[in-house]
Amino acid sequence: MPHSRWLVPLLLAGALAAQARDMRSASVGMRARIDELVLPGGELEPAAVDHTTPIVVRLLATRPHGDRFRYDLEWYGLAPGRYDLARWLARKDGSAAADLPPIEVTVTSVLPPGELEPAAPAPGALPRLSGYSTLQIVAGVLWVVGLLAVLFVGRRWRRARAVATVQPTLADRLRPLVQAVATGAADDAGKAELERLLVAFWRAKLGLRTANADAAIVAIRAHAEAGALLRQVEAWLHRPEPPASFDVAALLAPYRSVSAADFEEVARVR
Amino acid sequence: MTVHEPAVTRFAETRAFLHDIRERVGKVVVGQDVVVERVLIALLTSGHLLLQGVPGLAKTLLVAAVGKTVDLAFARIQFTIDLLPSDIVGSEILDQKTHEFRTHKGPIFTNLLLADEINRAAPKVQSALLEAMQERRVTIGNHNYPLPAPFLVIATQNPVEQAGTFELPEAQLDRFMLLHRLQYLSPQEEKEVLRRNAALGVRRDGKGAVARTEFDVLGDQPVGSADKLVRAMEDVQQVHVSEAFLEHCVEITNRTRRHPKVELGCSPRAGIALVKASRARALIHGRDYVLPEDLFALAEDVILHRMRLGYEALAEGCTGQQVLQEILAESPR
Repeated sequence: MPHSRWLVPLLLAGALAAQARDMRSASVGMRARIDELVLPGGELEPAAVDHTTPIVVRLLATRPHGDRFRYDLEWYGLAPGRYDLARWLARKDGSAAADLPPIEVTVTSVLPPGELEPAAPAPGALPRLSGYSTLQIVAGVLWVVGLLAVLFVGRRWRRARAVATVQPTLADRLRPLVQAVATGAADDAGKAELERLLVAFWRAKLGLRTANADAAIVAIRAHAEAGALLRQVEAWLHRPEPPASFDVAALLAPYRSVSAADFEEVARVR
Repeated sequence: MTVHEPAVTRFAETRAFLHDIRERVGKVVVGQDVVVERVLIALLTSGHLLLQGVPGLAKTLLVAAVGKTVDLAFARIQFTIDLLPSDIVGSEILDQKTHEFRTHKGPIFTNLLLADEINRAAPKVQSALLEAMQERRVTIGNHNYPLPAPFLVIATQNPVEQAGTFELPEAQLDRFMLLHRLQYLSPQEEKEVLRRNAALGVRRDGKGAVARTEFDVLGDQPVGSADKLVRAMEDVQQVHVSEAFLEHCVEITNRTRRHPKVELGCSPRAGIALVKASRARALIHGRDYVLPEDLFALAEDVILHRMRLGYEALAEGCTGQQVLQEILAESPR
């Protein structure tokens, strides 16, 4: 493209121009900059100042510009009014700088005329509750509500769930197992479970729940009713050749209608 | 024995043999019937036995008595902190005459080895013994030697003096089929011990005399040979194990893995040990089939050292015995 060779320098120049600042007005004490300021004559420097000087000028950068110099300068005013910055510039070689063009700036004041100090802030009315206190009260209310919910709603819900998932008692498990074994429908695992349940049944019935397992089974075997039953079940389940005339259904008949109360008989008596 | 021999007759012989052993051991060891039974179970199943008890409960005397009664080669190693693996398994030594290395077999080459206070030896010595227990072979130099058969290790450890001991980790405890915790004798049994001890007298030794000990009472004449023991071991294999009993064993070992207070449950090896030990116990009690009674009687010795309680259970002050009884009493699900 034939115009592209000019496009880049133009854009760069535009960017530089946009960057250059020319601040001719500022409020008291606020710094302002004037960049790329070309002034005739020899190189300049800030003139000497004292405590009465209303304007302070600093030269940030000085660059040759043909037979002149180009300056980036910073200034700030200490009293409101219109000033010529050229008055506070001097030649570095000590010659007069009378040929400088005026560099007019305006220092404004945000205070009303005649007022030198900012007015004291008028005391305003504080809100009744600050944000933090409000947050604390809201959090406290939520905590109390949550605690009450846990205590009352959660407990009711857990009770309802516990009722829904109530564990079957030993008696509940024993009855169908006895039925299955009596009808020949139980497998080896079922028969073994039946034996364990019968031992558990008699442990509860004879008050042997806290006894050691080995002592408990010896006591059960020594019991007239329980021992007879257990020995028959053992013979049926564990002998290499179970007795031929063994009527499982008749043996287990008393346990078909066993209830949870039967397991607690001894405990109630005690 | 041939397959035609009636099982009842054969078991009767074995029962008589076992009865004789118990009777002979009972002459020198008072009470401890359960311990004698556990030693016999270990003998009959080639399972190793760890006896745990305070000093003075006749652990060593008991094992020595069994060894002499059955005519088995018996060796005893007192485990100490400075024991080396080569002190147990043996080593190769240079023969000064032939200038060749000669194998010196250690005391482990025996039938019945008493490892006294096994927890006093360094872990590498414990490992050497436990490896031999598992493999039933030892390596000396570049050669591998089988251990004699039967080979049985009965180890003891004192649960009280723990300073300067190295507790056996669970994996090594698992090598012991049974860990039996010895209890103190009843007052009547203890009185009998004192009575017998008072009647021991002295033994003349050269020109002097020494007080006789219970070890002097041990008869040198065994009641049976190693052949009889092997025959009894074969009989154990004939003891019937029902499917229901296997179900019980699997259920119990699985409960140890599910129990909330147990951090480490039993391995399948525990189930195997339960069945093996129950068979031997059934034979000792004159049965050719196992019963849940055997399982309940042996559960503590087989299971307890194979499970580890969790931190919370220990913090609550639970003991392994309590948790095991909960497991055994737990209703089936």
